[in-house]
Amino acid sequence: MKRTRFAILLVAAATLAGCVAVQPYQRGYLAREDMALEANPGTMKALEKTYSAKEAASGGASVGGGGCGCN
Amino acid sequence: MAATDRDGSALAALVHAALALPILALPAKAGAAAVGEVGVTLLGYKERGLMKITEPVIWGRVQFAEVWEVQASAAVDIITGASPQLVSNALGKPVQTITGASISDRRNTGDLKVTRRFGDLALSASRTLSKEEDYHSKAFGLEARLDLNQRNTTIAAGYGKSNDRILSADDPNLNERRDTREYLAGVTQVISPTSLVQSTITWARGTGWYNDPYKLTFTFFDAGLPILAPDRRPDHRDTLAWLTRYRAHFPAAHGTLQADYRFYRDDWGIRAHTLEVAWQQELNERWALRPALRYYTQDAADFYSPTVPRPQPPVQSSDQRLGAWGGVSPSLRATWRLDRLTLEATLGYVHNARNLRFGGGGADAFETLRAWYGIVGATHSF
Repeated sequence: MKRTRFAILLVAAATLAGCVAVQPYQRGYLAREDMALEANPGTMKALEKTYSAKEAASGGASVGGGGCGCN
Repeated sequence: MAATDRDGSALAALVHAALALPILALPAKAGAAAVGEVGVTLLGYKERGLMKITEPVIWGRVQFAEVWEVQASAAVDIITGASPQLVSNALGKPVQTITGASISDRRNTGDLKVTRRFGDLALSASRTLSKEEDYHSKAFGLEARLDLNQRNTTIAAGYGKSNDRILSADDPNLNERRDTREYLAGVTQVISPTSLVQSTITWARGTGWYNDPYKLTFTFFDAGLPILAPDRRPDHRDTLAWLTRYRAHFPAAHGTLQADYRFYRDDWGIRAHTLEVAWQQELNERWALRPALRYYTQDAADFYSPTVPRPQPPVQSSDQRLGAWGGVSPSLRATWRLDRLTLEATLGYVHNARNLRFGGGGADAFETLRAWYGIVGATHSF
């Protein structure tokens, strides 16, 4: 757990240290669809179904998604 | 002239969309009373010799009155084929055996999420329902997102709860609960005009029934009678998942790097790493291709064992999903856009095997899984 906390702090520090203030008019590229953090909801659901039923790991992106009796 | 107008309008739309970053997923449109998308998606998944899944999904999201966003989806999972039920060492080494008739299951699920913005703060509430013959789930989530630093930074916090009911198609007396509370904390940071990163952690504390009513372990010993043991797992599970996602656009190459990494651990002893790297290449105004490679590796749960140990422990499972293994999954997605219509097709392959575990040492009893999947979808924006 200590190593996890250390890694979280390291990533946070490295990320914030490398940032510059990006003005609204400079965000054209950030608004591109391929810069979205997630695919559209339909594709996300399909991918989640493909992997989550076979893997022990899950979660990380959101809360309140509920469970399933995937075999 | 017409082209210039179109370019100007596209630029205006892009700037308005950029102003909405990073908190809202939907691009804003100047003067529009409502802006949104509706889509249909179909998943086809087929394992070699085992299960087949078909999942149609319909979804939509809309922003209106500048401060409201509503997102909803509904899906049906149609599952047919065979599911491994028994791990036995009758032939020497423990192997998975498909027993019983082919299964057929259907799961209906739907969710609704409503978001309201108050300046730089956005509050969301969500509800998810899922029902299948042997599993019912009701969940809700609350989430708050706050934009800081001229919207270069967004912090998020969330709470969720799910109440699940576990039944069995084989045992009409089984009716058990599983309750899970989830917590989320995250930050999204714009790094430069062409890159951003998001890091999110979710913790979950679950209590209740985790046993799989369909899994059995049948173990023969050198001396004495064999034991047929049902799946027995702890009655609680605390998990931590840490997901970091990075996006970087390379204007000269007309391509975008998408990299996701998730670290997962739980108090069952499982540690897992998931890494997916994709490159979305714009071929022209209409076509884009996205090759991706996903790698997954996990350790075994403390109570995983393909045979029943002696003396028999209170918790033991031979379910290979709790064993040590790894998997690779390459995929290719093609996207075609015309005005407000986007068509998408993804073809992927899944190969899970014991020798793909990072560092080796995968579970000997792990049965290699090979599967193909295809996803096709259409999205209409308005």
